[in-house]
Amino acid sequence: MKPAGMFQRSAGFRIFFWCFAILIGAFVFLPLLWMVNTAVKPMDKTFTLSFFTGPLTLDNLIGILKNQTIMRYLRNSLLVSFASSFAATVVSAISAYSFSKFRYTGRKFIMGMFMMSQAFPQAILLLAIYLMMQRLGLLGSYWSLLFSYVVFTLPVGTWTLKGYFDALPDSLIESAKLDGAGNLTIMTRIIFPLAITGMTSIAIYGFVWSWNDLLFSMTLVTDTAKRTLAPGLVMTFLGEASTNWNAMMSASIIATLPVMIVFIFLQRFFIAGLTNGAVKG
Amino acid sequence: MARNHGRLSDGQVGFLLVIPGLAVFCAIILYPFISAVLLSFTDRSLLFPGSNWVGLENYRKLFLNVYFFKTMLTTLWFVAGATLLPFVLGFIWAIVLHEQFFASQALRGITLVDWIIPGTAIGFLWSWIFNGEYGILNGLLLKTGLIQKGVPWLGQTTTALLCVIISRAWQMLPWYMAFLLGGLQGVSHEQVEAARIDGANNIQVFRHVVLPGMRQIVNIVLVLGAIGNLQHFDIPWTMTQGGPARATMTFSLEVYTTAFKNWKIGTAATIGTIWAILLLVFNIVYLKQVEESK
Repeated sequence: MKPAGMFQRSAGFRIFFWCFAILIGAFVFLPLLWMVNTAVKPMDKTFTLSFFTGPLTLDNLIGILKNQTIMRYLRNSLLVSFASSFAATVVSAISAYSFSKFRYTGRKFIMGMFMMSQAFPQAILLLAIYLMMQRLGLLGSYWSLLFSYVVFTLPVGTWTLKGYFDALPDSLIESAKLDGAGNLTIMTRIIFPLAITGMTSIAIYGFVWSWNDLLFSMTLVTDTAKRTLAPGLVMTFLGEASTNWNAMMSASIIATLPVMIVFIFLQRFFIAGLTNGAVKG
Repeated sequence: MARNHGRLSDGQVGFLLVIPGLAVFCAIILYPFISAVLLSFTDRSLLFPGSNWVGLENYRKLFLNVYFFKTMLTTLWFVAGATLLPFVLGFIWAIVLHEQFFASQALRGITLVDWIIPGTAIGFLWSWIFNGEYGILNGLLLKTGLIQKGVPWLGQTTTALLCVIISRAWQMLPWYMAFLLGGLQGVSHEQVEAARIDGANNIQVFRHVVLPGMRQIVNIVLVLGAIGNLQHFDIPWTMTQGGPARATMTFSLEVYTTAFKNWKIGTAATIGTIWAILLLVFNIVYLKQVEESK
């Protein structure tokens, strides 16, 4: 305990602390453990209340990994998420660079519009995007998802990265210009590498956004071969007459793994990416 | 800045750079939004080509429809519950983890796992917990003798919305915790000390020093959380698809169902437009907060 704590460790505080530590701790962690517990139970023990006490098996998880359909959904999701995360980061970065280091008529207005993006409910945009993609013949193609995901990362991405670029001194650009560097070189060789922290957080934000999306992917891509993971799992498990809970929990764990891996290795960027955009505004 | 002949000026370069972003923004947000509002004045269906301009007919029908007000009420309950519950729990959890104890750092990290899990998977998990026949909740309640036979938590109108709110709260608790922990760390030590010297107890310190010091962050998470919940789709869709008997039908589910299950895209656009106006109010409040915090 550091010398100047916020609260005195009175009896009342101790009671408050321990009660809530246990209650909220249980609420936060027990469902998670229950998911893992169900995934590693043998099929005939699904409905017992045993909590990691009975026989354990990896068969359910292996079953999902061997399931060709679900693995295809997973590959599709990886493809779409990587592509849209990359595209969103690039588009956000060049927009943010423009807002940060250039002055032109309409700049403030465009910035304001980008920021208002979240004011538009996604479900209503989806109606018109659906009709538009239908007209363009892009319904069922990943392009429809790619464009949509880029836009939903754009406001957060632009505002976060603008903050990073604002912190870079203008003299950096000036001296590069004197050395004869063009605008493109300055942007890609000097500015972007210096804001790599921000770029990484935005890439992660974009990845998680598209990985988790259900609404758009479910509506815009309905071809089974092209389906991504979230709608794929809904279609696989919710349509069934009797639910296979072991498989469902195993599939849920596998659907979480890619994001979890990113989280473990890039925790610092991850949290920055998901909380920054909102506050920096 | 040096003048360069035959080359673009700085302002022109700046504008060129913003074009890709602006183009996708117009294609995916601006144009669809305007066309969706226009759609709300038509009888467009996904089953037939073409449509007729019907003026305010869709709006008139909606306002005469009792279900519409039920949806609005359900949405408000959902937004209120799914914002306040994880806010309060997340705040207390942040206070607990703000105390330095042996596992506090590790627990902060692990708490975030709940929030990383895709909404679809969270929907699966809580459908399983609340399952009416074999769910763990019923299992435990039966075992302790609190209930005599299984309760169909998600299958009855009285409890379904509450279950969906609890699931959403579980997902979002870490998010509120992360923000509020940051806020707690920013509270001035000097002010806490000063209040202590004046003889303030823990509750007084919290009310008169900590809470005022966190006012901005509290307002921002509440408004952002509410905006997120007004938009939320995944968890209720995975758990109940709006049922039973429309007990969990919020705006986003209603728009989706009307357009892509009942094929009435014009009516869906009408619901969506009304909803957008509601969301706009929250957004203006949010922008005000951000403006103030600068």
